[in-house]
Order: sequence, then structure tokens, then C-alpha cells
Amino acid sequence: MKLVILGVGGMGSISLSKTIASMAINRGLAVKSSEIHGMAKKGGLVEIQMKIDEGLSGVVLQGEADFSFVMNKDYTDYGQAFLKRDGRLIMADRDTVEGIVRDLGDVRFVGSFLLARFIGYQDVFREDDALNVLEKLKEGEKNIEAFKRGLI
Amino acid sequence: MKLFLSGNEAIAFGLIEAGVRFISAYPGTPSSEVLPTAVKIKQQFGIGGYFEWSVNEKAAFEEATAANFSGLSVAVVMKQVGLNVAMDPYMNTAIVGSIGGFVVVVADDPGPHSSQTEQDSRFLAQFAKIPVLEPSTPKEAYEFAKRAVDLSKKYSLPVMLRTTTRVSHSREDIAVGRIEDVKLKPEFKKNTDRFAATPHFRFLLHKELNNKIRAIKGKPGFRIFYNGNRLLITSGISFAYLCDIVEEFGLHDKVRILKIDMPFPIDELKLQEYVDRYNDVLVIEEGYPVIENQIIDRRRIKGRWNGFVPSEGELTIDVIKGLLRDFGVLEFKENTVAVKPPFKRPSLCPGCGHRSAFFAIREVFKNQAIYTGDIGCYTLGLNLKAVDTVHCMGASVSFAFGFDKAFSIAGDFKYIVATIGDSTFFHSGITPLIDAMHNKSRFILVILDNATTAMTGNQPTPANPFNAAFDGANPISIESTVRSLGVEFLRVRDAYDIEGLKTDLKEAKQYIETHSKPAVLIFRHPCVYTKEGLSLNPAFEDVYVDEAKCTGCKICINRFECPSLLFDEDTKKVTIDLSTCIKCGQCIYSCPYNAIKVKK
Repeated sequence: MKLVILGVGGMGSISLSKTIASMAINRGLAVKSSEIHGMAKKGGLVEIQMKIDEGLSGVVLQGEADFSFVMNKDYTDYGQAFLKRDGRLIMADRDTVEGIVRDLGDVRFVGSFLLARFIGYQDVFREDDALNVLEKLKEGEKNIEAFKRGLI
Repeated sequence: MKLFLSGNEAIAFGLIEAGVRFISAYPGTPSSEVLPTAVKIKQQFGIGGYFEWSVNEKAAFEEATAANFSGLSVAVVMKQVGLNVAMDPYMNTAIVGSIGGFVVVVADDPGPHSSQTEQDSRFLAQFAKIPVLEPSTPKEAYEFAKRAVDLSKKYSLPVMLRTTTRVSHSREDIAVGRIEDVKLKPEFKKNTDRFAATPHFRFLLHKELNNKIRAIKGKPGFRIFYNGNRLLITSGISFAYLCDIVEEFGLHDKVRILKIDMPFPIDELKLQEYVDRYNDVLVIEEGYPVIENQIIDRRRIKGRWNGFVPSEGELTIDVIKGLLRDFGVLEFKENTVAVKPPFKRPSLCPGCGHRSAFFAIREVFKNQAIYTGDIGCYTLGLNLKAVDTVHCMGASVSFAFGFDKAFSIAGDFKYIVATIGDSTFFHSGITPLIDAMHNKSRFILVILDNATTAMTGNQPTPANPFNAAFDGANPISIESTVRSLGVEFLRVRDAYDIEGLKTDLKEAKQYIETHSKPAVLIFRHPCVYTKEGLSLNPAFEDVYVDEAKCTGCKICINRFECPSLLFDEDTKKVTIDLSTCIKCGQCIYSCPYNAIKVKK
């Protein structure tokens, strides 16, 4: 499986990639990623490409990805470009993001919401795979709350 | 225990597992994560050892060398340009040889993504006549780190571990081994023929080194993959890319891959014999033609010497696909138009004190001065037109000196304003300032002190009262250092005090008009990218644009260049991006119409 996560600095894109990696490791699957950070720190693009159970490098090319997580709408077209024909774009609408920021206090929890959407769209990982990792995070409860909002 | 580690983190695990207990480093992208990981491992596993940042790479190298001469296994970590700084001890340590394990970890930056050069450090391994191991993946980075320690111990010479941005910043699931505390028994056995060798003994040491390299050469690290009849010779990250392409396009029966784990030394004859079995050979290696140049007869080889492989820029997976197509083993339809992410030029963070300093400098000197800049976040003073040169660490000061002398020997005078950060000043700004004082040079040196090494991820500087492990350290005072050189004109001010900065700059300007000495200004403001810096940063309740007063002239955007100032194409007025603004209110100085306002 090939994934791309696009966000801006400080939004939790890297945490999301680590959560997915832990889920893969717990299932005994090989996992690789490649991180690209822009020079600008605040607000700069953070791009993470991931391969689960395939490949030797963590690099994913445009037109190859099964899933594109887009955490900032400015990168929608860019995220779309990574998808293969039947690939799926995963993003949160504005109301969801604002709701999460209002109720949970930080935009970083949006990652867990997107993770739940992802769970619903594929059959490698199940809900429990995610919950087992999320509950061990520093702010496990809030992450799980955001995750539950994303379940479909 | 399986961990999801980056290449750099994996290197720290491998080194420490193999017994390395002394690591010194200077931060530099893409190498910066190795040392902090070592510090974390030390804390987590409760092992003894010294893992710390040094003032620069040369000092780091020498410190580690002495620790190694005491019998400890050591490592030094730096980026490729850092190795340039450490060249003197590096070349010498190669000649003298090591006692325990000695690993030189160098992270190269093909692209380059965040460096001045794309240089290939493997050439410097060849230059110093030491072996170099080149991992293709984070897992190999972990394994090769251990292998480098063992090889070094076995042959008593430093071994280079060369990584590149893509390996350093990739992650992989890696099963790490146990790390146990070992009792260290440092001992220095005096041997002046070796540790204080005169030229006569140097010749003998050189001979010894040549013998070591000859012995290592006999055990080449060649590995063969796939079954085709067209040969690809590769190493490092390029190998990982090639394997991905072979799997993706089913080229298993078309190509054969010769992977070289150790690009120097190579048994040239064995390599040539292998090459001679194939009609078509393509060499793909990230960096310079290090392996390629060791092939004795290159006439039938496709590579860099005949322009088949590009000689600059990164060999990305896309570039490699193109090479395989030109080589006749791969057919693919070119991606129609690759989509690029929306362009955002790199910019100082909103609220960065450097921006206020550059703004004030530019206001005072306008087009009258030569602005020599330096390596760090403040390179981005370029955007504020207050940086004309960026060369290498510390060169803002030596360039200011050189420009001043060049003009003064012709009887001319030019205002020169040099800007340098605190960490870079300690790294290599002090020595040219000594030269400037001693040799009577006139310029203004502005030390932009944000109390951290910001660009590479906020590592401590010698001015901090803490070290890499956040233990107590003795803070070194920048102003005392400057004053001790005999600098008379020295002002220290918070960079947010823009009017005050202008006063200092104007006085400094007058001073250098009448004195043959540098004037030094320290403009200080904690980095707002750190948690502490941001929490302590003064903030207004609100910063907003008075639409009635905004003329849409964009002077604030052009001259102050804060990414939080946006131009609204509909209203033709400036607005403030509330998602990035930290309400420092520094931009109010940039509006000639007083349209940017603050609410206290």
C-alpha cells in the first residue's frame, strides 16, 4: 500500500505517519517512509510518503498512491496528483476541523480523524489496530475522540 | 524491539550498540538528528558516555580523536560542508590511525536541499585513504554503522559512514539490538612516533595506511541482484530506487544489479573483470563518479564521464527512470505534467527578531552598504535585501574584512554591514573578527542572537546554560568575548526595539567613519520557533489593518516581508493571516501610513 500525507509544519502530519507505521509494525508488516520538509519552518509544506508491505525506498511517485491524506486544503491538487486511478483522497472539511479545534483544543487531532476515514476505506487495518496505537499516545483520549468522529 | 527509525536515528542506535561511547558533532542538515538520538539512548538505557555538540566540526573531530587515542570507540557526525571544516584533523587521523573504533558519519545533501554544495564526501574518503560504507536504507544505515565500528577496530583506521538526505530522512521498521552499559577503561599509551610523529615517521604511517587499505580492498563488498544481461552498478539510495523500479515494472530478467556497499576501496581488477562480462553497463550512484572512476576501462561504460548520467542535481527516482529508458531497459509513459505544490518562498518565521533587525539595517543603510551574510536562518535576510553574500560559516565577518581592505587600498570607503547568528559566530566568526581588530578593518558586525541554533532544529549554542542533554553548561558571553578582543564600539539591544536598533546602527556608522576598527552590535531576541521563546514573546491582544488607511502600496509586504502579511486581490488591501500571526506587532513600523494597528 502506498500513502502520501501532506500537511504544514506543526499540524501533526509526522505523528500521523508514525501512528500508521506503529499499526503496520504491530501487524508484522514492513513499513517505510520518506519525509520532505521545506526550508520554511512555520507553515511550510511537510510531505510524507509511505510504503506498507512493499518496496525498498519510502518514495511514492505521482500517480501511484492508494491514499492521499491532505491536511491543508492548499495542497488538494498536489495530493490528488499522487493518486493512482482508483486512489482515494482523504481530507477533513472546514466544519470538522473547526469542530475539532473548538472541542479538543488543537488542530493536531485532525490526523486521528483522517485515520478513521482511512480505516473505513481499506481492509489491511481495522479499527482496533488504530485504537491500540492511539490509546498509548500522550493525549490518547482526545485522539480517540477525534478518531471516533471520523468513523464511517 | 522493532522501532520506526529514521536513517539518522538508526545510525545512533547502530553506533552505540557497537560500543561507541563518545560522539561529538556540530548540527547541519541532514545530519542533525544523530547526536540527539544518541543523547536519548544514553538517558533511556542508562549507559555511560559523552554525546555532545561541539563548537564546530574541527573541534568535534579533534576531541573525538583524543578520546579514541584513549582507547574509546568514537564517532563524529557532520554534514558534508562540516567535513570541509574538519579536513585538517580528518586527514591526520587517517594517517595516524585509530585505536578503538572510529566512525566519521557524514551526511551529504545531493540536490542540494539545504546546503551550499552538492559535494560527495566519498571522494574525501578516497582522498584520506579511509574506507567508506554507503547504506541504501535506514535498516542498512543501522547495520553499516555497526559494520563501520567493527571494520575500524579491525584495521585501526577511521571509517566513513556516508549517508544522504534521502537515507537520513527516511524511516523504516528496524529491529534494534540490546544496548548494555560497559565499563570504560580509558588508557593513553604514549607513543611519540605515532601521536607526535615527525615527517620521517609520517612517511612510515602513510605506508602503514596504504597497507591497511590494500588489505581491505581484498574483501570487496559486491552484492548481485536480479538475472538480466544488462549491468547496473550502483550504491546508496540509488540501489533502493532501482529495486523499486525493477519490482514495479517487472525488470527482473532484464537487468542485473551490482550493489557496492563500500565505494572505497574497491578492488579495481575484480570490478573490471565483472564489468567485462557485460556488453552494456550503466553506473548510477548518487553524488560524484566515485565508483565509476575506479573502473579501469570506462570506454564501454555509460555514466558521468560521457554525459549519460547528469553531473549535477539529485538522482531522484524520476531521473533514474529516465536513465533506464535511455539505457533501453524500460518503457514508460512520461507523467503528463507533474503537479508541483503551491510555491512558497522560504521566509523567516512570523515574529522572528532577525526580521526586525534586517528591517532596521535596511532602513538605515538602504542601497549604500555591502551586506555580507552568513549561514543560518538569517540567510533569509536576502528577502529583505539586507544580505548580498552568503558563502560559508563565518564568512560574513571575513568577507566584510576583505571588502573593506579591497576598497581601502584604492583609497575608497564603503559601508559594510555583516550579519551573523550566535551559533555561527562561535563556530567561525570569532577568528576573522580577531583578524579585523588586529589588522584595523572598518565595518559593522551585527550578531543576531536568538539564543539557539535555529535553522537545524534548535540545538544549544555555547551561550546557553545547558547542553544537548539539557544538563547545566557554562554559558559563554558573546559580549565579553567581543569586548576581550578590544572592540570599543559594542551595543546590545532587543531586536524588537526597532527605533533603538536604528539609533545603534547610526552611531556605529559614525564610529566606523572615524575609526579603523569594527563596530559590533548584538541584536538579541529569543527564537519564536522554540516553545519557550514563543511563550515568553510579547504579544498584543490584536494586530490588524485599518482598511480606511491602507493604500494597498504593499510597502509592508515588500520591505518587512512577514509571511503573515497577505495582499487581498479583491479589496486591494493588506490583511493579516491569523493562522500564522503571533501578534508581535513588529510590522507596524513598516507601514508609512500607520495603517497597521495594535490593540493592547
